[in-house]
Amino acid sequence: MKFTALVLKNLLRSKRRTILTVLSIAVSLFIFSALTSLPTVANRVLADTASSVRIACRTKMGQAYPLPEAYKAKIAETPHVVAVTPDNFFGGIYHEVSDQFPNIAVDPERIDVMWPDWGFSPGGIEQFKKLRTACLVADGTMKRFHLNVGQQIQLRGATYYPVNVSLTIVGTIAKGPAPSFLVFRRDYLEEIEGRPGRVDNFWVRADSSQAVPGIIQSVNAKFANSSAETQCDSEAVFIGGVIGRFRMFFTLARILGLIVVVTIGLVAANAAAMSIRERRNEIAVMRSIGFRSPLILRLLIAESVVTALAGCMLGCGAAFALLKIFSVTSDVLGPFVGAMQIPPPALLETFLAAILIGVLSSYVPARSAARRNIVDTLRVVD
Amino acid sequence: MSKNDAVSLDHVTRAYQRDNFEVRALDDVTLTIPERGFIAIMGPSGSGKTTMLNLITGIDHPTSGRVCVSNEEINRMNENELADWRARHIGLVFQFYNLIPVLTAYENVELPLLLTDLPKNERKRHVEAALEAVGLAERMNHYPRQLSGGQEQRVAIARAVVTDPTIVVADEPTGDLDAKSAEEILTLLSHLNQQFKKTIVMVTHDSRAERFVDAIFRLDKGVFVGAENNLVGGGQQ
Repeated sequence: MKFTALVLKNLLRSKRRTILTVLSIAVSLFIFSALTSLPTVANRVLADTASSVRIACRTKMGQAYPLPEAYKAKIAETPHVVAVTPDNFFGGIYHEVSDQFPNIAVDPERIDVMWPDWGFSPGGIEQFKKLRTACLVADGTMKRFHLNVGQQIQLRGATYYPVNVSLTIVGTIAKGPAPSFLVFRRDYLEEIEGRPGRVDNFWVRADSSQAVPGIIQSVNAKFANSSAETQCDSEAVFIGGVIGRFRMFFTLARILGLIVVVTIGLVAANAAAMSIRERRNEIAVMRSIGFRSPLILRLLIAESVVTALAGCMLGCGAAFALLKIFSVTSDVLGPFVGAMQIPPPALLETFLAAILIGVLSSYVPARSAARRNIVDTLRVVD
Repeated sequence: MSKNDAVSLDHVTRAYQRDNFEVRALDDVTLTIPERGFIAIMGPSGSGKTTMLNLITGIDHPTSGRVCVSNEEINRMNENELADWRARHIGLVFQFYNLIPVLTAYENVELPLLLTDLPKNERKRHVEAALEAVGLAERMNHYPRQLSGGQEQRVAIARAVVTDPTIVVADEPTGDLDAKSAEEILTLLSHLNQQFKKTIVMVTHDSRAERFVDAIFRLDKGVFVGAENNLVGGGQQ
């Protein structure tokens, strides 16, 4: 503690250099913490949205292939199944291409039983069941496009369905599976399409989580060796599979984060080397009055670690503040607001990265200065 | 080395390798410096004066021979032992003061005390006493850039004596000062020697120093050519 003032005074020796070093470390650790948070945020989204009693059934051949509508009744006959809701991903465009958000057609009868956790607005479900062109819209989408209940909107068909749908907003969804989201009736889509009878996924609700494995096995067995075999998974596995497609992106994000940290580590090393080089004479004087080399080394590394930790606090603070502001002001986060935080493991990693930057950036020049010959440094050879 | 000797050099040689040549900065020097003496080491440039100081303070090592300071053979110590030994026994004063520019006069003087176990209030008492002794008690919160050359050197002397070392070693303490300041510094060193009984070894070119010191050791081309007065003994072997 008695050396604290010495360390701090040396840090403030060149305020501009210290501030710039702190800022560069802060920016790099901000990026690092944000990138390392991605997988954790994704996993938290998964944990927050997945239900233990919902099952998703799709074709074994992959998402691009549909299942026959007729499977609905057969799945519903399976013991412990409470509800079956088919869905089709419409993928329509609202106004401009940039105004896209997930829009899905579902059967209306059991929607409230299938997704009671979505937070439907009062009266919305009843209207959805009554009106063929009804749609339910997530709060994020309502705010984003300034929509109102009762308003009519049109979605233009795109890649998947070359048809337009005209919809009436009858209610809202507070906690849907995505922040920006819309569901409308599948019977309406079928009618426009000429009743092809195809389904992308069947959502199945079990009466208990213990029944889920049995239902999955039973449904898969039921359609085995048919022209459209099913692959059923619990909702967590299903969403995990979707998120899993981004694993490579997450890995790349982590690598990018590390590259940024290493790059800034080199910048910090340069700053530390300059600072130490300028003070070689003082370091030699300190050694000549009795400071041991290891103590000098520790003091110099402490300066660098304090700089890096200041950058860490600033970077993490900025990330926290920005995410807070984003989550408060953004209309599109919806239920993911809670997930948009720097998780503690990412904070710990960022803290460790800061310590590493501090130690590694200063170790070589500090060690060199602490061990340099005192006589040579003082240039007192007479 | 007798019990009353502060420093003893016994057949000390310090040679440097310069390209293919060996340069003998000190050549087989044997001498003793008595306790409580005020000694000036004089000689032309390149005579080995500063090399001798470096050996006495343990920041350089002899190529051969023995260096004993306060009855300890310092040439056998490793770097850490030497650092600890310097903290206890040596007070160093440099030609260019070598104060830490980001520290105040008070903090510069306190620096060697940070290596001791003294509590903060004790350190404060020692620092204030040292600055009082050099006449700079009112300037303790000034930074080196706010002080004159003579005042900086006085702070450096306060830093050298604050730990109550066995020997104060000064390398050209008046070399960067005007005549008036140089006189003040020599008077101060003499006062420390007489009042506080400090052994002072000073390298200097300043002829004014002859009036203040007990003895003058003359070096020439790395050879000890003699001591002028009867307080000290020694000679080239």
